Amino acid sequence: MAQLDPTALDLPLAAPKRGIRVGRIPIPGWLALLLRNSKSRTGLLIVVFMVVIAVIAPLISVAHPNDFNLLATRQAPSWHHLFGTTDQGSDVFSQVVVGARRSLLLGALAGAFATLVAAALGITAAYVGGIVDEVVNLLTNVFLTIPAIPLLVVASGYLRARGMWTMIAVIALVLWAFEARILRAQALTLKNRDFILAAKTSGEPTWRIVFGELMPNMISRIAAAFVLVFYISLLVDSGLEFLGLGDMSATSWGVTIYWAQVNSTVLQGEWWPFLFPSLALGLTVLGLVLVLAGIDEVSNPQLRTEHRRGRLLRLLFGRAAA
Amino acid sequence: MSAIATKTLLEVRGLEVEYGRVRAVDGVDLDIASGETLGLAGESGCGKSTVANAVMQILRPPAHIVGGSIRFQGEELTGKSNEELRRFRWRNVSMVFQSAMNALNPVMRVGDQFVDMMQAHERISKHRAIVRAGELLELVGMDKHRVRSYPHELSGGMRQRVIIAMALALNPELIILDEPTTALDVVVQREILQEVEALKRDFGFAVLFITHDLSLLLEFADRIAIMYAGEIVEAAPAATLAESPLHPYTQGLLQSFPPLTGPRVKLTGIAGAPPDLREPPAGCRFHPRCPHCVPENVALYFRQTSERPRLREITPGHFVACHLVDA
Amino acid sequence: MSVLEVRDLSKSFAIGGALRRQHVHAVEDVSFSLRPGTITALVGESGSGKSTVARLIARLYDPSSGAVFFGDEDVAQVRRRKDVLRYRSQVQLIFQDPFGSLNPVKTVRHHIERPLRIHDIVPSSQVDDRVYELLETVGLVPAREVADKYPHELSGGQRQRVAIARALAVEPTVVLADEPTSMLDVSIRIGILNLMLKLKDERDIAFLYVTHDIASARYVADDILVMYAGQIVERGPVEQVLAEPLHPYTRLLLAAVHGERIADRGSGASAAVDPVEGCRFVSRCPLAIPVCSEVTPELVEARRQHAARCHVTAPAT
Repeated sequence: MAQLDPTALDLPLAAPKRGIRVGRIPIPGWLALLLRNSKSRTGLLIVVFMVVIAVIAPLISVAHPNDFNLLATRQAPSWHHLFGTTDQGSDVFSQVVVGARRSLLLGALAGAFATLVAAALGITAAYVGGIVDEVVNLLTNVFLTIPAIPLLVVASGYLRARGMWTMIAVIALVLWAFEARILRAQALTLKNRDFILAAKTSGEPTWRIVFGELMPNMISRIAAAFVLVFYISLLVDSGLEFLGLGDMSATSWGVTIYWAQVNSTVLQGEWWPFLFPSLALGLTVLGLVLVLAGIDEVSNPQLRTEHRRGRLLRLLFGRAAA
Repeated sequence: MSAIATKTLLEVRGLEVEYGRVRAVDGVDLDIASGETLGLAGESGCGKSTVANAVMQILRPPAHIVGGSIRFQGEELTGKSNEELRRFRWRNVSMVFQSAMNALNPVMRVGDQFVDMMQAHERISKHRAIVRAGELLELVGMDKHRVRSYPHELSGGMRQRVIIAMALALNPELIILDEPTTALDVVVQREILQEVEALKRDFGFAVLFITHDLSLLLEFADRIAIMYAGEIVEAAPAATLAESPLHPYTQGLLQSFPPLTGPRVKLTGIAGAPPDLREPPAGCRFHPRCPHCVPENVALYFRQTSERPRLREITPGHFVACHLVDA
Repeated sequence: MSVLEVRDLSKSFAIGGALRRQHVHAVEDVSFSLRPGTITALVGESGSGKSTVARLIARLYDPSSGAVFFGDEDVAQVRRRKDVLRYRSQVQLIFQDPFGSLNPVKTVRHHIERPLRIHDIVPSSQVDDRVYELLETVGLVPAREVADKYPHELSGGQRQRVAIARALAVEPTVVLADEPTSMLDVSIRIGILNLMLKLKDERDIAFLYVTHDIASARYVADDILVMYAGQIVERGPVEQVLAEPLHPYTRLLLAAVHGERIADRGSGASAAVDPVEGCRFVSRCPLAIPVCSEVTPELVEARRQHAARCHVTAPAT
């Protein structure tokens, strides 16, 4: 009775406390929750910063970041070239800020596609069960057994169109199955909860139960899936480009790092074309990881670290109370 | 049973427990004499289980004791070291809680769990411990060969009996039963409580019996304390409480159990719901639900809504915290 | 006149692997009928199959055999969505756990509005007014304020009232209440029971009140059905059954709640696995005679309208 804490069962992100207002700006409840958590607050701050940079990129960069300028090659960072220039004389700062556009867009879209497919298939399969579940299960298992990295290497290496959309499609195709499996498992635990049965007895059609009743309850898990795919696709995309398997004419962090590596700039003491794009990549991924950790903590109160000292002690000395 | 405590075993004074900023237990006084059964009744969230956990010193963060004292045989428990508390638990006080029957380790035989528990507290050979476990199981009305069973081979009632046998193992002076039978069927519930009563006669331990089911306490407890919103609002010998409850909450609770015999009368229960302890009502915490709290009676209404009633002894052994009784 | 009739309803669940397939008979040959404006209590211990009966009637499970007649059609056979919807608009289920039966991410309004819209109970323009009206009927005021709350902002009793309002939204003729008070605090249970009594009188609803609490059954019910191990073992008007119980199991239950000393080494009332012939209660029965372990007793009307499944107290003529 007393142990039955309803808030522990629910997913706080989906049914949050009322939104708050800061001045005249209304802040929805879920955002307020995420902002109250120090991890997701830091993470959101970083991600928002990167997004702002990406949005205003044309204003703060040169028009064509990949342009040659043989008069200004291999310059160290200075006020004129904040992040220095490459061996071709391109402005690294411009490459990084314009590259942010591509990276963020690619991550967001790949995350969105993979999550959309995963949520629709996973949750429907769990709820409907039977043959639908069998088929979806088979499909996820097939995709899970595909070795992701080699497929990505092969696909991006041999596909004629090496553009961003190809990359998005390939990443989403490889990653949706992981999420589908996780979401299906969670939907399975929810589908026999009384409120779903109640919706059924009141005559709700299946699609409404899946999208209207089940899915909102899994929103934090779905958001987590999105963020996870987001940063994995960032890493995968940059990694492939670093290996020279991307669209080498594009402006992106991975491409900048690739050329820095090909021209062995570091060996010649030129660290800047290497460091700054890596830093941008690292920072973005860090931001996303923190957001993910925050979502986890907010939606799973047991993970909250409000009593840090007590927790630390317990970790060090084991449970004090038997 | 005399209403006057023969020898005080447990003495709780002004106990205050907080969960974060929520005060779940606010100034609770309790006495348990040796060999006595004290019933503690109240609705979920009123703090009754928190009191039990505080006595056992097993509050988990964010819950912590912020004030008051808990004395066991004259010895202060708050502030004892973990090692001292470990020895104190089970040997002096043991506890059976509602979900205890699910607390048995599913991959260990029942007997081995007894061995572990006993060896943690005293030097005893495995063989002797198993024999003793068998004896204990017989005491609670089970076959001694059940020491060889795994928990999943036992029904809920039997598992709860195993837990009670474990609680008895070290001959504690006090056993805390926190909703021990709530998850069980009525017939099994009654059997188990009958057995506890018989064991109590034989061993002479005291019992702190916590439940939301007042009707059980009327039968099995010597004295009953009623908790509401973190406070004790009434305490009296069971018979007195049944015949002349003074606090409107107690009266309402007694009115909440439909009778099995006699005419079918319309009951009213208690209107409203227990308060949110984050913002307890000012004055008497029961006043928003109290049928005797009406604005027409200006002077009394003012007291009820602004002044917290103190627990006072009205007749010997009968304590109540209510402005109506003061007036 | 009965509005809903259950005839020889059985439900078994398969357990074990393909090699050692066994069947748990959760519900066996259950028959009864519900009348408008009356409350029928279905009493039994956990595992006796009482909740399964309610869920079978609510079509959450398909029965293994037997029929549920609503009007003159067997609803267990109905498959077309239109017909299922029509049945759902007449027969509603209230769940035991008010913390689980409301969608945590939806407002109170959503829960009550959906059935109104699904079944076109009122024109769209009147949906809001009807929501408030229903909330007021179940005693949730101020209705406009309550409507926009989330379940976690309500107490257990309030949630159960929302669940009742949801059930009432479709203007049902039958309401199946599956232990609606057992998860609630003692002091607010009576309120829910009184609400059921009020609705029964005002709306002429036929209630099936599933419970393990025999005292509350006496408080609200007109008729009582006692279930043990998947079977109905006693049936009759509530006052008569409680005053002069026929079945030894009913007697045991009453003794337990009356506070009499009981001597019983029962293993509970769980459903039988691949049951053999004979009375399910025989191992606990103080009255057992040899025939009890050989022949399953039938439900025999030993007194007017009062039947029991017992060779000793209600022998077949």
